[in-house]
Amino acid sequence: MTHDTATRTAAAPAADGEGTAPVRGLTLRRAGQWAKEQYPLYILIALLIFAGSASDAFFSSYNVSNLLLQVSVIGIVTLAQFLIVLTGGIDISVGAVAGLAGVLSAGLFGGGNTLLAVAVAIVLGGAVGVFNGYLIAYRGLEAFIVTLGMLALGRGLVYAYTEGQPITPHAADFRAIATTAIGGVPVLGIVWIVLALAMAFLTRCTVFGRRVYALGSSKEAAHAAGVPVRATMISVYVIAGVLVGFAGFLLAARIGAATPTGGDNYEIDSIAAVVIGGASLVGGRGRVLGAFLGTLIFGVISNLLVLLNVSTFLQDAFRGALIIFAMVLTTVQFTRRRRQRTAHS
Amino acid sequence: MSRMGATTSSASASPPPPRTVTFTLDGVGKVYPGVVAVSDVTLSGYAGEVLAICGANGAGKSTLTKLLAGQERPTSGRVIVDGYDGEITSPSAALDAGVLLMHQEPVIVDTFSVQENVWLTGLSAAGRRRPWQLVGGRDRADRTRAALGVVGMREVDLGMPAGRLGPGPRQMVALSRSQVNEHRVLLLDETTASTTEEHFKDVEALVRTEREAGATVVFVSHRMPEVFALADRIAVMRNGSLVDVVDTADTTPDEVMTLMIGEAVMALEPPEPVAATDAPTLLEVRDVSSGSASGISFSVREGEIVGVYGLVGSGRSSLARSISGHQHRDTGTVRVRGHEVHPRSPRAALRQGIAYLSEDRRREGFVKDFDNATNLTLSTLGAFSTRGVLHTRRERRRVARLVSDFGIKGGADQLTSSLSGGNQQKVCIAKALESEPDVVVLDEPTKGIDVGARLNIYQIVRGLSERRKAVVVVTSEAEEALALCHRVIVLRDGVIAGEFVSKTSTTDDLTRTALGGEVQ
Repeated sequence: MTHDTATRTAAAPAADGEGTAPVRGLTLRRAGQWAKEQYPLYILIALLIFAGSASDAFFSSYNVSNLLLQVSVIGIVTLAQFLIVLTGGIDISVGAVAGLAGVLSAGLFGGGNTLLAVAVAIVLGGAVGVFNGYLIAYRGLEAFIVTLGMLALGRGLVYAYTEGQPITPHAADFRAIATTAIGGVPVLGIVWIVLALAMAFLTRCTVFGRRVYALGSSKEAAHAAGVPVRATMISVYVIAGVLVGFAGFLLAARIGAATPTGGDNYEIDSIAAVVIGGASLVGGRGRVLGAFLGTLIFGVISNLLVLLNVSTFLQDAFRGALIIFAMVLTTVQFTRRRRQRTAHS
Repeated sequence: MSRMGATTSSASASPPPPRTVTFTLDGVGKVYPGVVAVSDVTLSGYAGEVLAICGANGAGKSTLTKLLAGQERPTSGRVIVDGYDGEITSPSAALDAGVLLMHQEPVIVDTFSVQENVWLTGLSAAGRRRPWQLVGGRDRADRTRAALGVVGMREVDLGMPAGRLGPGPRQMVALSRSQVNEHRVLLLDETTASTTEEHFKDVEALVRTEREAGATVVFVSHRMPEVFALADRIAVMRNGSLVDVVDTADTTPDEVMTLMIGEAVMALEPPEPVAATDAPTLLEVRDVSSGSASGISFSVREGEIVGVYGLVGSGRSSLARSISGHQHRDTGTVRVRGHEVHPRSPRAALRQGIAYLSEDRRREGFVKDFDNATNLTLSTLGAFSTRGVLHTRRERRRVARLVSDFGIKGGADQLTSSLSGGNQQKVCIAKALESEPDVVVLDEPTKGIDVGARLNIYQIVRGLSERRKAVVVVTSEAEEALALCHRVIVLRDGVIAGEFVSKTSTTDDLTRTALGGEVQ
């Protein structure tokens, strides 16, 4: 939450006059502190400069809108992952659940009605969230183990339901959300940005969000302070599940068909994006902006590797290397604070 | 090194006897961000002596032993052990040098057997041990049994998981390591805190054997009878500094106590008892049983501060936690303003007008990644929001008010975890009071807090009484109970052993009652 106050002070120094009245120097120092912690932004800027110089096609409007289409679905999954990571949990079933939501939304009820398809995806995601959340919040199971089981369960059901074949829905407007654009900006990208803003609002400006940060940072202290830990926890998984289900529908809509491999590797990409964005896997630290930028960083690199004709296999290796690089970066980032903390205990 | 080995050595004119120095702390200091735990301590230990280190809670005595055992690195000064090249900067260096530390909480791996636990230091990186060396040996069981025999544990099953041992036996198993590790200095950090009378005899015997074998035994305690039974010299710490080093023969428990506590606490006069009739009863506890507390009844009037005093395991914390929804209550009723309450969670307790200040500040007191502002409002977010959306301005105005009212250093934006213990405690208390409770239960409110900040906390607690709250203070310090509370209830073995009016009682009354009438 230091980020929180830092941004606030930096953005509206006048507001402090009525309260603690900090010196201007302090405000400036905090602004400097804030700027120091924006390393995902600097990585992205550096990447964009490199991309622009390495490939002429990169900043073409076609490529930019294509890039936005590519990152939007995983971007929404990353928002879900971000919320769960804030609680100190992890969800490795996001890919399988998105895949399952996709095939069911395309296949159930004959795939004739797009609204019904959206509802199916969201209800499925929400139901998985209730299930995961119940086991984690009320039965005290490890998020990693629960979602590992859900990963295998979900992916298995996808293959069983599709028998390995893609499912193409009949509804004419099934693809609409992924093919239209407003003023040159793809609707899918707008949906992602709106959801990201909503998530930022939820985590920063609501009681619920404050509670999520509190229980992610110190569960016992939150409980002792009267935070309803379990109820908050299960709500987090339900919200995340709904987002993942919706993302599953969007994935099917973008491709035009629900493929059995849809959502593969989403767990890796979303966790990596969240971590590159500066969130702590231990919980209690992180910002939506970071997760958003983390998604973009990954998207830009994938896009660039395609533009530069790097082989698909090497692309995966590059992304793996990037994850490790980002993790090392975060340890550099937090070293000073951790030293302070251990010194206390 | 002077004979006394302390900066403020007593004026002993006799010539120094030929004693060999085993360890030397040379101007050692340890500073944590915001806290000076130990400052500029110079002290030596001699072969064949028992050196007691005394001090109130938070005086720095535990930190001092950790520095000597390489568990913490000093921020200034040096730790030197005779016969070992270089300074002690890590636990394995300390073991190599022959410094053996027995922690307050015994270091026991629950899943290892008793035998494996006796030999646990064999896993350390000290000496020439290499990861691929085999553990164990032919005569291991015999030697284990012999080692355990020294501490009165001959009968224990060597193969049993150590997790099944009670608190006393756990400590004794840890102590038996002194028999299988070559050492010149044995540090006992409040090792007797969790042991019973019977085990204390074994500890006493062990200490005497050690002394005869020529080791230096450093004995950390604030229990005067034990100190005077065992120690040759007493080093007294207060507020992180070494106040004095005295020969046990030349002093009295009273003198040492005065050195330990200083003037600050002594200066606080016990409060006038709340008149017995006019103030209405706010909290009524009847036949409450939970954990180690069984069938406890008492009541607290408006504006009254009632102390709950007892030894470890007397049920004082169980009582406090079960009243405030932190722990399950087996039987009994609790009434607040005449209405029966049965909180099943801290959240429910807060709603029903009972706030609790945890003994374990770091775990339960505050959220570690939160700044003071967000910690202060965490229990009462409802007051700063409409339909779940926070009013940041209203929140910040309130926080600014609290920061100045309670004198919290660092203001609203500093991480609570980076503050000193006293300021952290102010944040915790301010947060608990934000819900405007009728009843405030404070569990060890001055644990790990230095003398200056203590007075601050006492003033806050007195302020609660002026605000017509019912206050329950759980404490393990008799002085604190008497200085702070109107009445004190003494617990022993889970039941009320006595009740005292502070104005007319002494610490001796309390400790005698808590121990069961027999003070060693």
